[in-house]
Parts: sequence; C-alpha cells; structure tokens
Amino acid sequence: MVSLVLILVASLFFTGIVIRTKSLASGRKGSGIFQPMKDIFKQFRKGSVYSSTTSFIFQIAPSFYFASVLMAILAIPLGKYPGLISFQGDFVLFAYLLAFGKFFMIISALDTGSSFEGMGASRESLFSMLVEPAFFIVMGSFALLTGETSFHEIFSTLHYGSNISYLLGGLATFVFIMIAMIENSRMPIDDPKTHLELTMVHEAMILDNSGFDLGLILHTTNMKFAMYGAIISNFFIGDLASMYTIPIFFAVQIGFAITVGLIESFMACFRMGHNPQFIFILTSVSLLIFFGVLLLLERFV
Amino acid sequence: MTDILLIMFAMTLLYMSIANRLLTYIRILVFQGFLLFGVTFLELSHINVTNLVLILLETVVFKALAVPLFLNRVIKHNGITRVAEPFLPNFVSLIIITLIIVITIVLSNSIKDINLDKTFFVVALSTLFTGLYIISTRRKIITHVMGYLVIENGVFILSLAVGNEMPMLVNLGIMLDIFASVLILGVFFNKIGDVLNDPDVNQLRNLKD
Amino acid sequence: MKTLIELFNLTAIATIVALPFLKVKGKGIVTLIAICLQVALVSIISIKVFSGTPIDYSYLGSYITGAIPVRVDYLSSWFILTISFTFLTGAVYGLHYMKRYIDQSANISLHASAYILTFTSLINLCIVQNGLVFLVIWEIMALSSFIIIIFEHYKKETLKAGINFLIQSHVSILFLTLAFMWVKIKTGTFDFSGITTYTSTEPALIGVGLFILFFLGFAIKAGFVPFHTWLPLAHPAAPAHISGVMSGVIIKIGIFGILRVLLLLKTNFVPIGYFILILSVITGVYGVMLAIIQHNLKKLLAYHSIENIGIIGIGIGLGCLGLGYNNQLLIVLGFSGALLHTLNHSLFKSLLFYSSGNVYQLTHTLDIESLGGLIKKMPKTAIFFLIGSLAICGLPPFNGFISEFLIYLGLFKSLSSVDFSLTVLMMFAILGLVLIGGLALICFTKAFSIVFLGESRHISMDKVENEKPASTLSFYAIVMLIMAIGVVPMLFLKVLALPVGQFAANISIDTAFEYSEIASTASMVGIYSAVFILLVVFVFLIRKMVTKNRPVSIANTWGCGYNGSSKKMQYTASSFIRTYRKLASSFLDIDKHKKEAKGIFPKVVHQETHPYDKIERWLIDKPIYNLRQLLSRFTFLQNGNVQSYILYGFIFIALVILVPEIIEKIKFLINFLNQL
Repeated sequence: MVSLVLILVASLFFTGIVIRTKSLASGRKGSGIFQPMKDIFKQFRKGSVYSSTTSFIFQIAPSFYFASVLMAILAIPLGKYPGLISFQGDFVLFAYLLAFGKFFMIISALDTGSSFEGMGASRESLFSMLVEPAFFIVMGSFALLTGETSFHEIFSTLHYGSNISYLLGGLATFVFIMIAMIENSRMPIDDPKTHLELTMVHEAMILDNSGFDLGLILHTTNMKFAMYGAIISNFFIGDLASMYTIPIFFAVQIGFAITVGLIESFMACFRMGHNPQFIFILTSVSLLIFFGVLLLLERFV
Repeated sequence: MTDILLIMFAMTLLYMSIANRLLTYIRILVFQGFLLFGVTFLELSHINVTNLVLILLETVVFKALAVPLFLNRVIKHNGITRVAEPFLPNFVSLIIITLIIVITIVLSNSIKDINLDKTFFVVALSTLFTGLYIISTRRKIITHVMGYLVIENGVFILSLAVGNEMPMLVNLGIMLDIFASVLILGVFFNKIGDVLNDPDVNQLRNLKD
Repeated sequence: MKTLIELFNLTAIATIVALPFLKVKGKGIVTLIAICLQVALVSIISIKVFSGTPIDYSYLGSYITGAIPVRVDYLSSWFILTISFTFLTGAVYGLHYMKRYIDQSANISLHASAYILTFTSLINLCIVQNGLVFLVIWEIMALSSFIIIIFEHYKKETLKAGINFLIQSHVSILFLTLAFMWVKIKTGTFDFSGITTYTSTEPALIGVGLFILFFLGFAIKAGFVPFHTWLPLAHPAAPAHISGVMSGVIIKIGIFGILRVLLLLKTNFVPIGYFILILSVITGVYGVMLAIIQHNLKKLLAYHSIENIGIIGIGIGLGCLGLGYNNQLLIVLGFSGALLHTLNHSLFKSLLFYSSGNVYQLTHTLDIESLGGLIKKMPKTAIFFLIGSLAICGLPPFNGFISEFLIYLGLFKSLSSVDFSLTVLMMFAILGLVLIGGLALICFTKAFSIVFLGESRHISMDKVENEKPASTLSFYAIVMLIMAIGVVPMLFLKVLALPVGQFAANISIDTAFEYSEIASTASMVGIYSAVFILLVVFVFLIRKMVTKNRPVSIANTWGCGYNGSSKKMQYTASSFIRTYRKLASSFLDIDKHKKEAKGIFPKVVHQETHPYDKIERWLIDKPIYNLRQLLSRFTFLQNGNVQSYILYGFIFIALVILVPEIIEKIKFLINFLNQL
C-alpha cells in the first residue's frame, strides 16, 4: 500500500522535473514542476474527436492501458513493505501486465489506418520485444543471487557484500534506467519533442487520441516513469528502517528524473536503424550480470 | 576489484561490436588501455619496482596514449572516411560477440586447472576471438590494425592470468610487438595510401600472384 | 465401463454405415448427434476416473497381438476431455461452415465419416496399452485425418499438402514401428508394461536410445522442428473447422505419446530432459520467427502451433529434468505447465482457426494484405479473434498466462541448482521463452490489426457479406472455458494434480506439500486476474461517466495535411514487420521481387515477398531434388516396351537359377587352386 501511494505521488511531479531540468540545461527558466499535471487536467476537461476509420477498440484502449499500468504498480515493493501483489514469480505477472497494455496501444494505433501510427506501432512492438529479455535476465540473476523469486523477497534479502556485488548493483541500475528510457520512448531511442519520421515511436502512436483518452495516456507515461524509479530505488533501499526509506525513495526518484533530463539535453537521438542493436546490448549486459552473479556465488570458479 | 575491471573490459568488447565511427573504436582502445593499467597495478604490485614501472609505462603510454594518437593521425592524414564498414550488419555482430563470450564462459568451466584464474582466462579468450572477428568482418585496413590491437590486449590479459611469473623478457617482447606492428602498418599504410588511394581491404587481393 | 467404451466404438461404426443413406442436411445433424453422444460417453468415463481410480480391463486378443489391456488412467482422461471438447466445438462450427458445400453430397459423407473415425481412433489411442493395436489405430487415425484434410481435393495445392502430410505420417509410423518391434524382440510382448520391465533391467543408454526412437515418431506428429514441414502446408489446405481440430488436438496426440512413453520408461532422465528442452526452445523460437513473416492467415496460425508445441516441450523438458534430478518441484511445475498448456492451446487455437474460417467465408480470401477494416462488418468474430490473440500471447487475465507462468516459475526456481551447465541452460530457456512471448506479441498485433482494423486494403467492402449469428455459436463455450481457466486456475490445477502425480509417483515422494504451495500461488494469480478485469471495467466506466456530456465529433484520420484516401497509405503487414525481417534475414528464406520506381513520372511498380521455410528447403526439397536427379539416370529401364519387361523377368529367373551354380563352380575352382 505504501509503495502504491508513494509511486502515485511521485508520478505527479516526475515529468515536471524532467522538463525543468531540460529547460535549465538549455539556459531557460522553464515551466513549473506541476505544469504537466495541469496540462493533463486540461485534457480531462476537453471533448474528443474520433476518426471515422476507428472502431470501439480505439475508445477502450487508453483505459485498458491505464488500468494495466496501475495494476502493475501494485506489484512493486518498497524496501521492507511488500506491494499489494506479492507472491512467487510476481515479476512475471508484472512484465506481462505491461505487455497487455502495450498490445492494446499498438492495436489502437493501427486502428486509425494512418501511416504515422503504423510506423510508431511497428517500432514499438519491435523495441519492446528486444528489451523484454533484459528485464527477465536481470531479475533471474538476482533471483539466483538471493534464492527467492518474488520482487519483495529479492529486494529485501539483497545484501551488498563484496565489491562485485556493488558493480552488479550498479550495472543493474544502469540496465533499468535504459529499460525505462526505452519503454517510455525517450532519448536516445526516440525524441519526444519531434513528430518526425526519424524519431517517431510512442508519440506517433497517440497522434489521433484526444480529450480524456489523451489525458489518461499522458498520465500513464508519468506513472510508468515513477514505477521504474521505484524499482531502481529498491536497489538502494534494501532492508533499511522506514524512516530512511521514504526520503531515499524520493531522492532516487528526483535523481532519476534529473538524469533523464540531462541525458535528453546532452545526447543526440540515435539513427533509427541503430536502435535495435543498442536495445539488444542491454540483453548482453544483463547476460554479463548473470555471469557476474555466478562468479559471486562461486559456481563458476 | 580486478574482476570488476575485467567485467568492464568485456562490456567494452560488446560496445565495440556496435560501434560505427572509427573515433569510437579509438576511444574504446584508450579505455581498454586504462582498464589494463588498473588491472596490472592491482595484480603485479609486488614484483620488483623497475619491472612494475616498465609494465605500467607500457600499458599507459603505449596502449592508452601513443598508439591511439598515432592511429588518429593516420586517419586524418590519409583522409579515410571515418565510418567502419562492416560486412555483416551490426545486430548480427552483437549477437555473435555475445555468443563468443557465453561460449567462452561455458568452455572455461570444463577446465579444472587451479593455477588459472577463470575470469582472466574468459576475458582474454573472448577478447582474442573478438579481435579476430573484428578483423574478418570489417572492410577497412585501419580496422584491421585496430582488431590486431584488440588481440594484443587479449594476449596481455592472458599473460597477467598466469600471475607473477612474467619475466621482463616477455614484457619487452610484447612491447616490441606492438611497437613494430603499428609502426610497420602505419608506414605501410602511408605508402598504400599514396599508391592505391583506396583503403579497402578487397583491393589487397590484387596483390596475390 | 467396458460397455461404455464398446458402445462408443459401436456408435462410430453405426454412424459411418448410416451416413451414405441420408440426405445432405441430415448428414451434418446426424454427425453432430453422434459426436455429442460419443463425447457424453467418454466424458462420463473420464469424470469417473478423475473422481476415483483408473479403470483397467483387458481383451483376450489373438495369437499375433497377445492380450490387449485397456487402461483409462489420469493422463488418458485429461487428454480424452481435451480432445472431446475440441471435437465437439469443431462439429458445431463445421455444421455451419459446410453449409457452403451443400451440393457435394458424396464428399460430405466421406468427410463426416472420416471426422467420426478420427475422433474414435484418437480416443482409442489414449486408452490401449498394446503396441501392435496402438500402431494399427495410429494408422487409422493418420488415414482418416488425411481424408478430412483434403476435403477440397479438386484443388491441386490441397492435394499436394495432403500427400505431404500422409508421407510424413508414415515416416513417423516407421519410427514407432521400429521402437515397438525393438521392445517386442527383446521382451516377447507387445504390452506397454514390457517397455517398463525392459528398460528397468537394461543400462540407461538403451532406455535413452529407445526414447529417442519413440520421440522421433511422435515429434513428427507433434510438429517439433525440424520435423514440422507438413504443418504449415496442411493447415491452410484443410477447411477451417478441421484446421482448428487438427491444430488443437491431432498434433497433441504426439505430445500424449511422448508423455506416455516417459511414464513407461525407467532410465536416466537427465540427458532426455536436456535434449527435449533444447529442441523445444529451438522449436518455439523458430516457429514464431517464421510465423511473423507469413501473409496467409492460416499459415501464420499454423506456425504458431509449432511455437506452442515448443512451449509445451519446454514444460516437458523441465519435468524430465526434475525426474532426473529427483526434484519434486520441477516435476510438478514442468508437467502441470505442459499439460495445462495442451488444454489451453487447443482452446485458443481452435478459436482462432474458426474465426479465420469466418473471415474466409465472408471475404473469400486469406491473404492478410488484402484485408482490413473487417471489424465493422463482423464485430463478433473480431472480438473472439481478439480474445484468442490475447490468450495466445500469454497475457493475463487469460489462460495462456497461467500455463506460461507455471513454466516460468519452474525455470526460475531451478536456477539455483548446483550444476553449472543446468543453470546456464535454464537461463537460455528463460531467454527463449521471453523471446517467444515478445515475438508472439508482434505477430498477433499484426494479424489482428491488419485483418480487422483500419480500412480495407484491396477488397471493396460492399462485396463482403454480413456476419451470420450461427457462425459464432460455438465460440461462446470456448471463451467461457478460457476465462474460467484464467480466473479460477485452482480448479483445473486440482484436476491436474492427478496426472502429474502419476509422474511424481515414479519417485515415491509425497506430493502434497509442494503442490499446496503452487496451488496457492496459482490461486493468487487467478484472484489478481479477476481483480485486473474488475479494474479495467472500473476505469472504463469512470471514463464513460466523465465523458458523457463532453462534445464528440467524428473526422478523418489526421493526415498531416493530406486528407485523401488513406486506404493505400496504411501500414501493410509487410511494412509492419519490415525492420524485424531485416534483423532476422539470416534465418529466413524470403523471395523478394522488386521493381524500382524510375523517372519523374514512374509507372505502376510492384513489390512481392514470398516467405519460404529454410528447413523445408534444406531438409525436404533439396534431398528430393537430388534423389530425382539420381533416379532419372535409370529412366531408360522404364521404356514402356512390353518386350523389354518380359526380358527383365527372363533375366531375373535366369539369375536366380544360375547364380548359385556359378558360385559353386567358383568355389570348386578356388579349392582346386588352393590344393596346387
């Protein structure tokens, strides 16, 4: 319960911090931290325009996407407190719930019959296929390291003893940051500011959505960011007492948001043809993490 | 600590498989030089001081500074296009190099020699094969040289694996090797650059009898 | 019980005899009634077995076969129930589908008889325990499935595909015959228990070798790579209800055979487990990699069947490794996952095939690239296809997720074993399973969206007829079962405990402890699936409430200033998967014909891609081509002259008489020379 509330709170200001960082890095003052939320509330009050090509799928997909991410957030623990959903193998449920949301976004994009959405949908499906193995292999490595198989138990029994475990924790954090960037279609995979053919992935898929649906989709992106930030903060929190947990959580979320902003300001977007190998390198790095865990456990001497 | 540096070394190999620009290759070689400096420093800190200083100088000065600068100069001087042109798409390269690392790890598990430190062996062998792979799948001569340098790095790690029995002679041999190869290739390259005007490996086939 | 099974067989024979005498409309209804009766009979038997103990009895048999024991145990009952359900839905859907062919009376009676015969032989295969009788019934099943596949035999492609299927079925029978003959020679009996006694007394290598022979025979039927080449040809050729039935249950009889042999063997299961696991991962990934590039809707679904057989195989391999390492948890998770996925796959694959049959009936084409926007004409079929797609990708809250979850749990739990190579293998199995899931997502978003959503690409929408309500009648039952397994998996797991217990009984450890832990995990998954459905409905209702009074307008899709016809500007199936195709091009075999657009005002240009199967090219086409080249040198022997044929007979008789004589003479000469 604690983690659900905290993630929802963090999702309110996450994108705001990202945009503020980007503005400050380019020398402007930038909008307020809660401006994106105000935009979303504005969308909630608007009416909608639907395309004549679309069917009922287009109208139900944003709600399904929002619900799937909300359900997935229930699985994430926070240090000592398990999520509302916690059982053995719950990270499999987590990953597949996110896939459910993605499925509906992709078919709603193709429902409009426009080439922009089709392009975005095709890239989104390919990139999410390439990034899934990285998540599973990292979770598998940590399951191997701690001997447990649920989010809460893995994170609460994770101890950083030797130097190698710090390296593995650092690498896993890096992999998760990259997974978060890819899943939310930020740099260096996709530029959220432009709607050009070169960089369209997620933004292209929602070109035809409007009104309440668009508000739902925008807030889902916020929630996904906060969700990945929560997973990353779990690497740092481990087993600490609760009075340290909440400040560390917010510190990690803000740090993550600032990092995202800085990466977006200072890195150019990759050429679209180079994206598949960049995404797949995460899987290779996670395989290295796996072998590092084997080294740590001295299975592999 | 050395294990950490070696794991980072393996990550640079992965990055090398998807790199596009020649400058990225040179930067990776510099980074590998610094990693090797760290590993050498930690491993060989108790052999006598002159040997240690010599080895450290070799890694830093040659692998991390001199050779990359030299390569940079060759690229600029001959006006080579600064993109590596692979025969296979980068995605396939990445998969193959990942497979190389995995197969090396699985293979090394069946070696039951206690004198051998497994991490060193695995990273050395994978670097060797990656270097060979880079030589065989890139089209330019300058990337041949870079692949050869990667192989040299791999052999160096392997020699560190057997520990402190490395006498000064082997050390000098390696240094001479690098020096000679880069110098000869550089000179060779300048001449080829002038005569053939085409840094494409396929043209070398015209030299066969 | 004995009488029920005999009644079951009698019903089949009676219906087959009666069918030619009925009118066409009557044929369909009589077939349906017969199938219902048969399903009721076997269901009674199976439910009785599940609530009690296995049933054994035996026929006397003849001198050749020995005694014919018949045994209905838990494994048979599980498969019997799966097979019956799909055949029942197939018959209901087939009744509607065949209405188009109402004038082909003889063809239909042949088809209906073969349908009943296939069902009868499949059920009998699950219960006989005698090797020779098993082979005979297997042959009957192969022949009758051949007949039901080639319903449209006037089309050349269908006939070719059917003959391909027949030949490969007979290769599989060859392997099975070899295996049964081996057992008979060594133990003198055809009874299945002979396999148990034989392998428990011989070294483990013999058991592994025997298993490989059986596995090869059953793998051709199930569709493991590289024996799968008949599958993508046979499924598009058959009518839709047969494709659904074939993909749902007929290939599962191969899985049944493998499981039955695993129960009977007593050998070292570790190498068997490794072998099955590696082969299944390759099968799963290869199947879905090729499924993505297909343009024919049924061929795409056929390759997906190969992928799901791979997933079932991963479960079986995991269970075998559990048997080999004496790990209770692995056995339970692996085999429950495999058996549950068998049921799940038969449900959602038959649903998908029936829906594609509906598409074919109304649009008369299966080419994905010409379809589009069908959701407006056939909304119910589209919803069923969507549910089937979600289930096959293994997404919660449907049933595919439960079986994949069990297999994932088994793989993750076995990561922490002591053996290094086992850990690495498990990690690769996890990698393979994740890739399968991701690729399946690409494939089914493509299939569903290009066929049903957007706008029609080549067909004019006026030519598409409207959906008929009878076409989706049987789908409701399938969907109800899909939702039931997804939301209350505990019920099904309780039933599954019995067949899985048969495997665990081999080790004689108490199964109760481990099973309760898994049952509670599965029940939590079920509860959360139900919560998820409620949450989704809740969010959607909130949205509906909030936007009730907002203004809504309809306009054209945003076209960046170009508001012309968006039909041709849409993404096609080939463009959707283009990046994937370029990445995976080394595994795929695609013929591409491209004409470039030249000049300032280019004429119409085409670009065509024809996907082909690389394994088929290397394993089937090239050897057949080389064989033909070799044999064509001997065509001079067949010159059509009666005189030369008589000459051949004359030469043969002469050789038979003269050759021994000549050999005697040569031996005499050699003796003579030796004495010199």
